[in-house]
Amino acid sequence: MKLAVVGKGGSGKTTTSSVIARTLARSGRAVVALDCDSNPNLGISLGVGDEETERLVSMRQALDEGEEEHANNWDTLISRYGSDGPDGVRLAVVSRIDNPEPG
Amino acid sequence: MRLAFVGKGGAGKSAIAGTFARTLARQGDKVLAIDSDPLPGLAYSLGLAIDHSPPIPDDAVIERKEGEEGPRWRLNPDVDPFDAVERWSVEAPDGVRFLQFGKISGDPRNLWRSQMAFRLIINKLPAGRWNVVGDLPGGTRQAFTGWGSWANTILIVVEPTAKSLLSGRRLANMANLDPDNPKRVMVVASKVRQDGDVEMIEKGVGLEVIATVPWDEELAEAERRQLAPIDFAPACPAVLAVESLVERLSEETVSR
Repeated sequence: MKLAVVGKGGSGKTTTSSVIARTLARSGRAVVALDCDSNPNLGISLGVGDEETERLVSMRQALDEGEEEHANNWDTLISRYGSDGPDGVRLAVVSRIDNPEPG
Repeated sequence: MRLAFVGKGGAGKSAIAGTFARTLARQGDKVLAIDSDPLPGLAYSLGLAIDHSPPIPDDAVIERKEGEEGPRWRLNPDVDPFDAVERWSVEAPDGVRFLQFGKISGDPRNLWRSQMAFRLIINKLPAGRWNVVGDLPGGTRQAFTGWGSWANTILIVVEPTAKSLLSGRRLANMANLDPDNPKRVMVVASKVRQDGDVEMIEKGVGLEVIATVPWDEELAEAERRQLAPIDFAPACPAVLAVESLVERLSEETVSR
């Protein structure tokens, strides 16, 4: 299953995604939760906490500033830019927060 | 006054910005309300029935030719920013002029030129001619990457949730990254329901809360019905809170 949750700001995407991810993980499935928001908040709803969410974001920023190497495959990406959340959900932050593209 | 509302999606930026712009116009100020969100936004909160005024024409910008120096997009020299606002904005109630950067319907790349034109026109608009009230898209992406540089005051709209606080803190950190373009940055507490909410927001974002907009069922109903809060519930607590905010900030406005 590869599932993306989209919608207008504030409509509940992050909350919905986190409950789906945790519920799937509780039923024994291996779940990776990708935060593709340019303002990444999924860590908070998943339950990994404020500080760990910000740590993942700074890892992602360090990549753009050239201080980190790009992962060249999925497993490296998930292990290097990810964090273990409750119920075994693996969270990774994919988007950067200061991308100048509109929208 | 050049004021931009930023904050996490759903915090109440559009409802507050729309009410703010209408209130300012009612007291006789010349108001340009701008919306740089490609999703539905400010128009309904201003009291406009439709949210798709025609986009700025593609030929308002010129693309850099192969081998040329300089930025990729320039404003067409035939386009004067002040005239452009007069020509391409639409009239909203109370005499507010409304300009938006185009709404996505189909391929978003179709709007790229219109959006660049919008950005150049707003950034080059001469100071002191309009009060500009801007509603920026939710999140951190647009706010301080060239799309909010026209503003001299940033109001971060924050509701009492952990995600909104985190977004507010990020926006507060990003607001003054450009030392050549210092901005006044303040927080508007939104959807406040209980004791301690304002303190939580102030502590979480690390900036002064200059206005508190309470959770208001009538405002929510206006949003459900696609009506401007100031028309649907002119005396509801949320609208009154925005009116006091206008009063607090209106020492530096441009009159008509």
